[in-house]
Amino acid sequence: MTFRLIGRALVLGVGLAAALSSATVAGEYALTVDPVTIDTGDFSRAGIGFNGASPGPVLRFKEGEDVTINVTNNLSGPTSIHWHGLILPFQQDGVPGISYDGIAAGETFTYRFPITQSGTYWFHSHTGFQEPDGAYGAIIIDKKGREPFRYDKEYVIQFTDAHPHSGDRIMRNLKMMPDYYNRQQRTLFDFLKDTETKGFGAAMADYKAWGEMRMMPTDIEDLQGFTPLINGKSASANWTGLFKPGERVRLRFINSSAMTYFDIRIPGLKMTVVQADGNNVQPVPVDEFRIAVAETYDVIVRPTEDKAYTIFAETMGRTAFARGTLAPREGMAAEVPEMREPPLLTMADMGMAHEGMDHGAMMADGKMDHSKMMAVGTHKMPDGTVMKGMNHAKMTGDTHKMPDGTVMKGMDHSGHGAMAKPDPFYAAGSGLKPAAANGGKFLSYGDLRAQKPLYKLREATREIELRLTGNMERYSWSINDVKYADSEPIRLRYGERVRFKFVNETMMTHPMHLHGMWSILDAGKGKWNPIKHVVSVSPGTTVYMETEVDAPGQWAFHCHLSYHADSGMFRKVVVEGGPRASAMPAKSMTGG
Amino acid sequence: MRNWHLTAVVIASALLVARPLAAEPVVWSIGAEQLEYRVGEGSDIQAWDGGGFIGKDELRVVWRSEAEYVSDTDKFETLENQIRLQVPIATFFDAVAGVRFDTPDGPDRAHGVIGIHGLAPQWFEVNLDLYLSEQPSVRFEVEYEALITNHWILTPTLEIDLPLIDDQEIGQGAFGPTIELGARLSYDLVDRSIAPYIGVHWERRFGESATLARAEGEQASAIYVVAGVRLMF
Amino acid sequence: MTINRIFSRALVAATIALALPAAGSPAFAAGGHGNGGAADIGKPGKASDVTRTINIVMKDNFYEPENLTLKEGETVRFVIKNEGEFVHEFNIATAEMHIAHQPEMMMMVEHGVLEPDRINWNAAKKMQATMGHGMHNEANSALLEPGKTGEIIWTFPKHAKLQFGCNIPGHYDAGMQGEIKLSH
Repeated sequence: MTFRLIGRALVLGVGLAAALSSATVAGEYALTVDPVTIDTGDFSRAGIGFNGASPGPVLRFKEGEDVTINVTNNLSGPTSIHWHGLILPFQQDGVPGISYDGIAAGETFTYRFPITQSGTYWFHSHTGFQEPDGAYGAIIIDKKGREPFRYDKEYVIQFTDAHPHSGDRIMRNLKMMPDYYNRQQRTLFDFLKDTETKGFGAAMADYKAWGEMRMMPTDIEDLQGFTPLINGKSASANWTGLFKPGERVRLRFINSSAMTYFDIRIPGLKMTVVQADGNNVQPVPVDEFRIAVAETYDVIVRPTEDKAYTIFAETMGRTAFARGTLAPREGMAAEVPEMREPPLLTMADMGMAHEGMDHGAMMADGKMDHSKMMAVGTHKMPDGTVMKGMNHAKMTGDTHKMPDGTVMKGMDHSGHGAMAKPDPFYAAGSGLKPAAANGGKFLSYGDLRAQKPLYKLREATREIELRLTGNMERYSWSINDVKYADSEPIRLRYGERVRFKFVNETMMTHPMHLHGMWSILDAGKGKWNPIKHVVSVSPGTTVYMETEVDAPGQWAFHCHLSYHADSGMFRKVVVEGGPRASAMPAKSMTGG
Repeated sequence: MRNWHLTAVVIASALLVARPLAAEPVVWSIGAEQLEYRVGEGSDIQAWDGGGFIGKDELRVVWRSEAEYVSDTDKFETLENQIRLQVPIATFFDAVAGVRFDTPDGPDRAHGVIGIHGLAPQWFEVNLDLYLSEQPSVRFEVEYEALITNHWILTPTLEIDLPLIDDQEIGQGAFGPTIELGARLSYDLVDRSIAPYIGVHWERRFGESATLARAEGEQASAIYVVAGVRLMF
Repeated sequence: MTINRIFSRALVAATIALALPAAGSPAFAAGGHGNGGAADIGKPGKASDVTRTINIVMKDNFYEPENLTLKEGETVRFVIKNEGEFVHEFNIATAEMHIAHQPEMMMMVEHGVLEPDRINWNAAKKMQATMGHGMHNEANSALLEPGKTGEIIWTFPKHAKLQFGCNIPGHYDAGMQGEIKLSH
């Protein structure tokens, strides 16, 4: 009898062990791509989701594990999934036509790649306009070892700009009429108001100046009329995250919008930015920050009072807002602020957008445009590559040379609390430069410093200039005046360090995203320059970033504004060569 | 019917050229700038001015159509259809080439078209066409959209039709232009798709064309109050 | 050095006075308790009074141990080792004082004194000369470069809500702080 019992127990025990170990097969995940209904409360339309919902699930990986992700396409047409910000073999990157052929209707594709990083990332379809139609989700990768910040709770705060029109329809409408969605244009009444405040002469001169260029100072958001969502919920649905007063809460902000930048603040709470684009930054306490399309920012907040706080995210053009709540209990809500006045572009933002202007000459503020001058002894190749001859010395932390090439005259760094510090990532006099609503600190790219540099600092081996160009009237966007369909791939060599120079000749802000390799933003911080995967370039500015070319294969490189990417602001990057002992770039190991 | 074959060939070849590549989408649109009822001294008129296009940035096939239907006589005073190929030639301008068929209740006419279409400084939308045939003419159109508010839009328009050679059959005198002036106040009711409007429409023939018109017992000029809807899909 | 100590103490006192407008006399809590509202954080201790030694390890960006439980009036020797890759501070004060101290540390960053992974002593001397502070010599604080070790001997008061924390911009908010519980 006893033996039978023992025998049974043994069988049970072994069976249980087997069941447990197979249930937790290390790193195997399943995703389905499904037609779903997007219902924001304001409108309802057909869309695309993952695992039956939009947004899709939060995938949680561990640094160091090998993941297997089986993606089943339940749509009637092809789809794809791109893992935004992840470093992986190029065939796993999920871009049809570059990484693979996409995933056909009914097909199941299995992604397999190692996780070699940690932080907050996201994933989305890279087919057609499926991402704006709802196909996006979040990725959290837990760090091996301890993170350089403490928190007791965490929440994903993922934004999107859900629109009643489908992505295809929006693209067609924008092509038909570029200001189709802009209901914030200057009207007769605005002109009359200007006449009152500035006088008729000045108002007329202003109107004529913009009219001459056939451009509008209100051209900030191509897409308006959307309902901003936080984790799929509109402002009235009020996504809520709970906390116990005194706890530290980590908020993983992800901007999964098609076209919209958000300015985020939590009235009453200071946010300490600890991570940008998945990479830890030296902590920066701020009152407000701007998140570009496709960027992520992780912040720590510490609410100490037993009350609710509003997470308030106004769009950059101030046409709409997303809103959530942090509260000790469900059902609480805090005051929702009024949106601020919409900004207007200025002539400074138009700096390089004049048709036919001599680009080698003056910038809007009268200074010489150094960004367009090439160093002596360089030779410009047809694809825009500049073969280096000069020592740029841009990466040392001691110089005051700003990323856009201008030398700030008369800037007194030692001055205390004099004027608001100019932000080199906005044109001097820009109408887009943000200020914190409470008069406090607004995060700038200039405040970001890597907590742990991923690469040893060295000189770039060459510079590639990418002029961000476009024709707003035709809603046609391009790089170096060449659309993707007409372009040659950008060819890089494995082992080199390329310095990309983005010159924004348009009046729109473009979040430039290079797949598969890190973008080390030149914020003038030398070895502490932040490591990102999206670099936002404001109108009328020049921004530099460097990439250690350590990922063989071919990669997408594009503006992450969905309707810009699809109308031509896109390139294929081909990395020639592969790992050889002598050619390995000096990458320091992550961790610790 | 030969003309329609020609048109079909033109469209087919244009679409072959505009075959989709890479990620860039083929776009299309159809609509009417004017779809209205005109009330004036004489007979009421139902009129439209619209069309559509399909293509990509490099090449578009454009259809333009204009008509004026006189209620009293149940006749199409004007019925024009153009098929044009449009290519960009400058940042704000396109060149067009195509054919125009006039099939009103009266003599038919067919012309070749070449022209320029685009956005001039200070936001004036301009169109300049040269119609080539045995009865050549020039047409110049300009339109401006004044935003009273972001939904109320006032659109003044000017159209000048200048025949270059006499065409007595249809009442055109060489260098006797017909000038049309309009002002329409619209409200964007549904996005940019449906915008009802009211307005005024004035047209007048000058010179030789006016003489011919009066000889027929017609007025040289007319003014109408109009009500209609602008459509864009 | 001594003059600087007095100078920086006076500055801290002034900072406290500004931070606690409800306080009575702005006297720096040098040994007094029963000072009304002014915070008593204790005072530098004598080596002979030390009852125990506590090792504090500073890493990026946290302490080991995360919290301390001490006896009221105790004199403790802290041996502070920076095992991180960044400059860190171990500072004994109240939460309000830490927050008031942070703008000063921010100024040191802006003047190039505090770099992420080292202290620029030349810049510190310059800042001290022009602004009257910058050398950061305070008895209740150890500001250490990576790999360095410092020591603080401190006598704790009877009643106080104290924290140890790092006031390098961002570190405190990222969690580099801990409670000091004083028990009977």
